[in-house]
Amino acid sequence: MSISTLPTRSPLMSALPLVRALVGRLLQALLTLLGISVIIWALLPLAPGDPAQRLLQARGVQDPTPLQVAALRTELALDRPLPVQYAEWLGRAVRGDLSLSYQTGRPVLEELGKRLPATLLLAGTALVLSLLIALIGGLLGAAYHERWPDQLIRLLSQVGVSLPAFLAGLLALRYIVVEFNIGRVLSGGQWQYVLLPALCLAISRAADWAQLLRASLLEALGANYTLVASARGATKLRVLWRYALPNAALPFLTAIGVGIGGLIGGSAIIEAIFTWPGIGSYVFAAIAARDFPVVQGFVLLAGLSYITASLCVDLVALLVDPRLRDGGHA
Amino acid sequence: MTSEPITQPPINVTRRLNPPPRSLSARLVRHPEARFGLVCALLLVGLALFGPLLAPYDPNQPDFRAKLEAPSTEHWLGTDQSGRDQFSRVLDGGQRTLGTALLVLSCIFGIGLVIGTIAGMSGGIVDIVLMRLVDILMALPSIVLAIAIVGVLGPGFENLVLALVISWWAYYARMARSYVLNARQRPDIIAARLAGIGWGRIMVGHVLPGVASQLLIIVTLDLGSMIAAIAGLSFLGLGVQPPAAEWGAMLSESRLYVTLAPWLLLGPLVPIFGAVLAANLLGNALRDTLDPGVNR
Repeated sequence: MSISTLPTRSPLMSALPLVRALVGRLLQALLTLLGISVIIWALLPLAPGDPAQRLLQARGVQDPTPLQVAALRTELALDRPLPVQYAEWLGRAVRGDLSLSYQTGRPVLEELGKRLPATLLLAGTALVLSLLIALIGGLLGAAYHERWPDQLIRLLSQVGVSLPAFLAGLLALRYIVVEFNIGRVLSGGQWQYVLLPALCLAISRAADWAQLLRASLLEALGANYTLVASARGATKLRVLWRYALPNAALPFLTAIGVGIGGLIGGSAIIEAIFTWPGIGSYVFAAIAARDFPVVQGFVLLAGLSYITASLCVDLVALLVDPRLRDGGHA
Repeated sequence: MTSEPITQPPINVTRRLNPPPRSLSARLVRHPEARFGLVCALLLVGLALFGPLLAPYDPNQPDFRAKLEAPSTEHWLGTDQSGRDQFSRVLDGGQRTLGTALLVLSCIFGIGLVIGTIAGMSGGIVDIVLMRLVDILMALPSIVLAIAIVGVLGPGFENLVLALVISWWAYYARMARSYVLNARQRPDIIAARLAGIGWGRIMVGHVLPGVASQLLIIVTLDLGSMIAAIAGLSFLGLGVQPPAAEWGAMLSESRLYVTLAPWLLLGPLVPIFGAVLAANLLGNALRDTLDPGVNR
């Protein structure tokens, strides 16, 4: 199957549906972002108790007088209607002002930014590991369909899918870190120690993706174009790599976009287990201290990365598969 | 069997030509993975129902003379940091983990069915508004939203349930809506409509039963993730609070003593894994036997 567009149309004409689809997808992402901002903002009024009182207590005022509370309410614009409060919050958030952390009194964005590299290292390594494992597992499973490597991979992936990241993390803690003293629990987030937590984070996703890739590879192997390729004398490896994999890649790509959401949530839990100094462990400390602006910032960051990730996946799919451009859907 | 959702891969022809002739339960029992999953699930349900009765000790009775003891004939899984019998606590904790998962999923099933049906039947502006809301909720990773909501509301059982329901229902509403839209195109529904039967009766009598059964497959497929999410949130200290025995909360306690008493970990860990595995196997088998169309 050819991936390039038909040569009869001029390059400009054939680019038009692509551009339209790209712009449409971009607008949709922006609207979704606006939507989640409402939800994230709503977390604060949702919290029990009076925010001004909470903030004063966080600042160390044990028994705030009504006058102090009233003054702070005016200062924080808490006496204004909720839609106005939202608009003001959004205006500040767009400019990168996610207000101050109750605990440290420093900007939330700065605090989160400081811990972002560690989280990106962990999640990025986990993503690469999952893709690698899924690719190997899926290809082997499809190549040795119904023979022992396939059966082994199916068994392993069934176990892997059912092993949530925090269970994998605890097992690794017990059997690798404590038993053999490999790796560290109290790491400073250096890259030497990233492999073990990243692997724990990768397992369930890798297993899920391997199952998916195997299934779509098998489907591609049953299609007519692979039959033609084999009939023309292509080796099994070439058929798998050159013909089946590119066609199986598209559903796989969509699954990756969805899986990244789980990766973001899972990395927070893995950080808590391995005391990895990233955003996740910071957020759990913030929750314990009832430091809500940090929680808001975390959700915003998670939502932003998830939307960006699925946007990228969709854009790649649009570039790869011309069939999706004319209002089609992945 | 009702129709499949819109995004369906090509139907497996051989499967269609040789339909399994027997009843659903017979087909499930024939499925080897489902058999294993069924056995696990029955064990776990038994554990949840009768576990507290079987516990040899009071799960919340501390014995400070017997702290962090290794497994023995008296204490099969050892004792925890307050000298409580870990085996009794595992038996006692099952119903909290599994019961919460069932409670949350029932709420989500109900909400998803109602919202999805309303969106699918009404169309127009109601449909657009509801589906936009669903899109927005689905743009946030469920577990992140759940952590944030329970983090802001404060830890505890009710808030855990609330947070999970809020962050999880959107997908169900979307699926229910697509099933309803599909059902509306079905010949028997059109025939019923042409015969002058009102939409209300058609919905209750012909559309909802099919939609509900399709949604139930998704519930079963999701049960494993839900158990994992509940245990995970409790592990993080955001769910069921100590001293109540709950598998996730017990894990977070035993994590603190992983060097002193590493045996404590496996007690709650194995049943969580078993529950997730059983739920996944059952869900897959149910999907395979009931709805070959969504088999990926």
